[in-house]
Amino acid sequence: MNNILKELQKDLLHLPRTHPKRRAVAIPAMQALQAELGYLDDAAIEKIAQITGLSTTEAEELATFYSLIYRRPAGRHTVRICDSVCCSMRGADQLLTAAEEYIRTPLGTVTPDGALTVLPGICLGLCDKAPAALVDGEALGPLNDASLKALLQRLQQKD
Amino acid sequence: MEALLTRHLDPVAPLNLVAYQATGGYRSLTSAFDLKPEKIIGIVEAANLRGRGGAGFPCGLKWRLRGADAPSPRYLICNLDESEPGTFKDRYLLYGGPHQIIESIIVSAFALQAERAFIFVRGEYAKGGNALNQAIQEAETAGLLGTNIRGSGFNLQIEAHLSGGRYICGEETAQINAIEGKRPNPRHKIPRPSTHGLWGQPTTTNNVETLINVPHILLNGADWFRELGVNGGCGSKLFCVSGKVKHSGLFELPCGTPARELIFEHAGGLDENRALLGFLPGGASTAFLLPKHLDVPMDFDPIAKAGSRLGTGSIIVLDDATCPVEVTLNLMRFFARESCGFCTPCRDGLPYLTQILTTISSGSGRADDLALLDELCATIASQSFCAFAPGAVMPLVSSLKCFHDHYEHHVTTGRCPFNEANKNGA
Repeated sequence: MNNILKELQKDLLHLPRTHPKRRAVAIPAMQALQAELGYLDDAAIEKIAQITGLSTTEAEELATFYSLIYRRPAGRHTVRICDSVCCSMRGADQLLTAAEEYIRTPLGTVTPDGALTVLPGICLGLCDKAPAALVDGEALGPLNDASLKALLQRLQQKD
Repeated sequence: MEALLTRHLDPVAPLNLVAYQATGGYRSLTSAFDLKPEKIIGIVEAANLRGRGGAGFPCGLKWRLRGADAPSPRYLICNLDESEPGTFKDRYLLYGGPHQIIESIIVSAFALQAERAFIFVRGEYAKGGNALNQAIQEAETAGLLGTNIRGSGFNLQIEAHLSGGRYICGEETAQINAIEGKRPNPRHKIPRPSTHGLWGQPTTTNNVETLINVPHILLNGADWFRELGVNGGCGSKLFCVSGKVKHSGLFELPCGTPARELIFEHAGGLDENRALLGFLPGGASTAFLLPKHLDVPMDFDPIAKAGSRLGTGSIIVLDDATCPVEVTLNLMRFFARESCGFCTPCRDGLPYLTQILTTISSGSGRADDLALLDELCATIASQSFCAFAPGAVMPLVSSLKCFHDHYEHHVTTGRCPFNEANKNGA
């Protein structure tokens, strides 16, 4: 974590003169820390506040506003299943039920082996692949119960 | 019509700088730098290029209203935060051809004499954002960005901002707050962002699809661009078709192409050749249209005249096996969840609408719920702070009108006629 922070602080020093407020790096800093840690714990929020000059509360407020910034632990692999209109019309609701049954843990939490977090997401811009999911940032679709279960199984076995 | 905006897109292996230039890419810089910025704005105005992000505001007019004497630094924001359900056109542009985006930003920023541009990329498109960053670096190395670009004396720096992910960030002033690292609530529109935008400086925001038209307009002229459209529309348009159709997809067609052609020719017609119940013409925050509207040109004014909005030009198709109450409930759940929470009518009103719709959908609705929904929609839309809530209630208000019999049926029989499971139960 320290390396990332050092880099960020170095970046801040070298920002162009015209670059305005330090708080503009809050989201990129959160994204960088999350890439390293998997989620932002309280210590990470404190660090963000230090770098950006925001209060801890302001940093917390920003982090919790965004759906792609995690304040709770996430699995090694995240699967966001779209539950918006086009995917829903093509079976997303059943997919979410099937996923929850398969992982035996509520949506949005981590499986006991630490491998998976499955959660519903808003329209992923994959309506032409409905029902679709974003798996570690990669678009997948159209999915059905069988292909989703096979995918979850594969991810559980992967590092 | 020959593909214009999608001609060189390749989502698997997008063209690098050299390959893009070999297709004629970055040629519009020469045309632009030979002209005075005011002249470019005049050409874009004459082309009648209207904003493709949803509002349809004339691009050239927006640029002219910013004013040539706007104080420095001036900013251009390319809005690539596409999150409107049913819309995926910008994803194709981002993943398929990052250099096309950069070229269009350079010529547009030159017209605006903006020295810094941001591309606001939705968080779910992070992989595309990475490729875009590489393309920006390639362009910088080649001297297409930076200081005194190609000896023009024009300086430009482009930065991609990857969103943390919320629908409201697509709104112009919320996006400005997001880039500044503030909580992305929409701002009050007075003073306007064109004079007091990003860090209090003159800021122009355009959707990415709007911007990628600009190089073509510069190369071929305003008249040529206007003539690309049909039925009174101007230019080329990216249409998305999804929902209950055989071949969901992105189709580049003349602006003004009717929905009938899009749905039945290009998207292959409805699933199992079922009958069309209705469609949303421009994404989730537009009003439903009915089969009788199939021949209305998909262009801003005709669709507005029909009672809806062209929005993002993204058609969501409902067949006669789809329950319109359930579809509307899904839309309202989306908007209730994505409200930024800043103002009370939106934050509390949308969940209330969702709650009432849930009871109707599950068969426990009361006869007076329908009038209550109508009344609440009117209150929420008129009392909320930004354009989010008026957009959010639009599909509900129109759904109550277009599919009134379906709502009545749910309320009077206490069950959903589309849901087999409920037929024996309840």
